[in-house]
Amino acid sequence: MNKFTKNKKGYAILELLFYISFFILVSLVVINAMIVMSQSFKEVTVLSEQLKSGAIMERISREIKQALSINLISSNSLKLNTKDDLDNDKTIEFSFSGTNIEFRENDVLVGNLNTANIIISQLSFTEITTATGKAVKVFLAAKSKNDKYDRQINFYNTIALRGSY
Amino acid sequence: MITFFYNKINKTSLKVNQRGFMVIEILIAISIITISVLSAMAVSQKSIQVSRQALHTTEAAFLLEEGAENARIARDNLWSNFVSINTIEQIGIYTRTVVASSVNRDSTTSDISVSGIDDPDTKLVTVTVAWPEGGTTIVKNLKFYLMNIFNE
Repeated sequence: MNKFTKNKKGYAILELLFYISFFILVSLVVINAMIVMSQSFKEVTVLSEQLKSGAIMERISREIKQALSINLISSNSLKLNTKDDLDNDKTIEFSFSGTNIEFRENDVLVGNLNTANIIISQLSFTEITTATGKAVKVFLAAKSKNDKYDRQINFYNTIALRGSY
Repeated sequence: MITFFYNKINKTSLKVNQRGFMVIEILIAISIITISVLSAMAVSQKSIQVSRQALHTTEAAFLLEEGAENARIARDNLWSNFVSINTIEQIGIYTRTVVASSVNRDSTTSDISVSGIDDPDTKLVTVTVAWPEGGTTIVKNLKFYLMNIFNE
């Protein structure tokens, strides 16, 4: 009887030890998974913001494509002559100021092309003169404010002014 | 006396059995929770991969567009320089190639065809952007025809 109870007690402790260690292992895995999930949520947010900065490049490209001629070009600003919906002349300007891209219509500031979470680290325009017209080479580098690794996304494009053909 | 012992043993074994059943229950519950959390983690990691690929595709799309515009600008400048265009550039993780290849036209219909007579005033431009993505290489192509419309 005495031997029986002793045996039973030892078994329970071993069992308990096994289950506790198993539980610790499982909770470690689960906590790790939770951390990974919250990190990936942040990462996806950063990536979607970087993707949004591609839309800025898209906008600049489209405006250059439709433009008639270059009004003024410097390494970080570009002013284009174009037409509005009613076929009146108008100018549009993209200029790099601080960490933003300012957009002006007829020299009136409309606003920033980038959202508050996107930092523009570089914007440059290069004029290319071809035998039949003009083209502009654009380089845009953007970062996300939420990105702790501070990664830079580079967009390159070259667009010929279709209005000049 | 015998029945008393019998009852006691029976009672103990029942108790042990009941405890074991509870542990198994907890074990199953824990493993279900663990599996579901792990699968949620796998999904979130896949979502990172997919959105990173989307970002790379957007960057590559601009590089493709630029390659096409460059070819068009080369055509605008001088046709004879454009016909032999064959460039390979490395821009960050992206490799861009721009190749102009000859185009054949059917001798009767003058339509572009696989066989026929070579048209020196039409070229097929192929812009390719390739980049490594998680062990594999993704390749995006852009093909278009350019013609010698400026008669140089």
